[in-house]
Amino acid sequence: MEAREIAVAISYPAPSVLDRTIASLRATRNALRGAPKLSVFFIFICIIIAVLPVSWITPYNSIEIRPANLLSAPELSGHILGTDNQGRDILSRLIHGGQSSVRVAVAAVILAALLGTTVALVAGVFRGWVDRLLMQITDAFLSLPYLMVALTVVTLLGPSIVNLIIVIGFLRWMGFARVLRGEVLRLMEMDFVRLANVAGSSRPRIMLRHVFPNIINTLLVLATLEVGLAVIVEASLSFLGLGVQRPIPSWGNMLRDAQQFLFFPGAWWFPLIPGIAITFLVMSCNLTGDWLRDRTDPTRRQL
Amino acid sequence: MGSYIIRRVLAGVITMILITLAVFILLRLGGGNPVEYMLPPEATQADIDKLTAAYGFDKSIWTQLGIYYKGLFQGDLGYALQWDHRPVVEVVWDRMPATLQLTAAAMVVAVVLGVAMGAVSAARPDSMLDRVGKVLAITGQSMPVFWVGLLLIVLFTVKLGWLDSAGGFARLGPKAIVMPAASLAFFLIASHMRIVRSTMLEVLESDYIKMIRAKGLPSRMVIWKHAFKNASIPVFTLFFVNFAALVGGAVVTETIFSWPGVGHLLVSALIARDYPVTQGVIFFVAAIIVFVNIFVDVMYAWLDPRIRLS
Repeated sequence: MEAREIAVAISYPAPSVLDRTIASLRATRNALRGAPKLSVFFIFICIIIAVLPVSWITPYNSIEIRPANLLSAPELSGHILGTDNQGRDILSRLIHGGQSSVRVAVAAVILAALLGTTVALVAGVFRGWVDRLLMQITDAFLSLPYLMVALTVVTLLGPSIVNLIIVIGFLRWMGFARVLRGEVLRLMEMDFVRLANVAGSSRPRIMLRHVFPNIINTLLVLATLEVGLAVIVEASLSFLGLGVQRPIPSWGNMLRDAQQFLFFPGAWWFPLIPGIAITFLVMSCNLTGDWLRDRTDPTRRQL
Repeated sequence: MGSYIIRRVLAGVITMILITLAVFILLRLGGGNPVEYMLPPEATQADIDKLTAAYGFDKSIWTQLGIYYKGLFQGDLGYALQWDHRPVVEVVWDRMPATLQLTAAAMVVAVVLGVAMGAVSAARPDSMLDRVGKVLAITGQSMPVFWVGLLLIVLFTVKLGWLDSAGGFARLGPKAIVMPAASLAFFLIASHMRIVRSTMLEVLESDYIKMIRAKGLPSRMVIWKHAFKNASIPVFTLFFVNFAALVGGAVVTETIFSWPGVGHLLVSALIARDYPVTQGVIFFVAAIIVFVNIFVDVMYAWLDPRIRLS
């Protein structure tokens, strides 16, 4: 028999679409083994909310004021979560607010991760006085009362979404720098990096090709945990009126609106709902971050 | 040991210089002329100029920086633009006790409950208590502190009418501290509990505990007398780190409950564009954080010689 005939005889039929779907579902299930599934699901929903245009995903207009419909209680037909002090549907504002909060938090964490990772790589690879200088600066930043400084900077720059992202990013990179520098120093002592060094790789090349890929796991774990914190910082600043500005909702400034109605007997749902959303997202980030850490490095398991 | 302390103190001084420099430049470059916020809108340009000169805001930024540092080393942080133009040091120092009281109250509650819950859940891993504690810890760490404060107000002030929500110590007496301290403590319990539990579990696995157990010491003695002692070092560190973080981190809580501490002062100073006071608050809080960090490092080095020799 010719080789071609043999090849044809033993070839398998191409996997159908159904087979491929089942296989990828199985792979997903394996990847998610032991995961806090509800948390992952909630994060997934938040990502979708953050990406899609507001008008697609909100049942009502989230900004337009409707004086006829103030503070109506939740009901199953119509406003599921009730309306706020300006007659706006709270569910719609919650979704729109989630979009602002998640966008700010994720963008701030990306900025912080970029800064922190750069500092860690440069400090860990170049060592010597570069390392000492960068760590001194990191220490100085760690000693800042960051919420107070954030308040001050936002007051000076003027509250806006972009300023909020910059402030949170610049005040939260130190965690990345500290932890990742430790990782980088550990990696620099390993044989494959030494080998690259002996083979004449330049330091930037060692940094990017050999060290960086090996700290991505830790980076992801830190980033997941840090998003939760950034959500709280955003909420705190917006709550004080220094974050996302009205009429654009965020979970923090929804609570700011609600604060004035704490003593209003019938409006119990008003301060409750945005807080629950924040708590869910922060908790999801914490649980997912812990799970990712256990998966990538079981020795550091906590609790 | 001596040289280690000197090294740490020097690093702390450099940190403080970096922080004050950054805050100074930030306020001078980003702030505009704060005097314009002090005077009524109908004030004449001549008055504005006169006051600007009196506060030295008309000099170049480098001259101002020189004056600022000269004052700093003499313990003088300038004069407030509001607050009757009193010295900044006095204005901030007046508010510090309230913040320290609140922080201390929250820390005591958090440490007592956190350590007790952590130790109990480490003694019986996967028991009912352990699980309840775990859920509480995860929830506590995920709820924004100011939201917990709002919920407490809704429950205790609005629904039950037990506690007043605003006014601080002066108006309400010791009852005033309950809700702000509780909302801060709820967040802090989790971290203490986690660290006690994980270090206790680690210690309980060690050879000397196994040996005490093998000698027949009752379980309660093993846990509370021997394991607990050795698990207390990380708790000690966490206590001080949290304490320092809280002095600056209670801003929102102080604002909600009108607690007359430095956080509340900072917010008022920012609204009034009172930059000397803003600088003063950040300086003092940062100084507390830096001092506590040095203290913890030195204690650690004293307890563990491997650190100071490296």
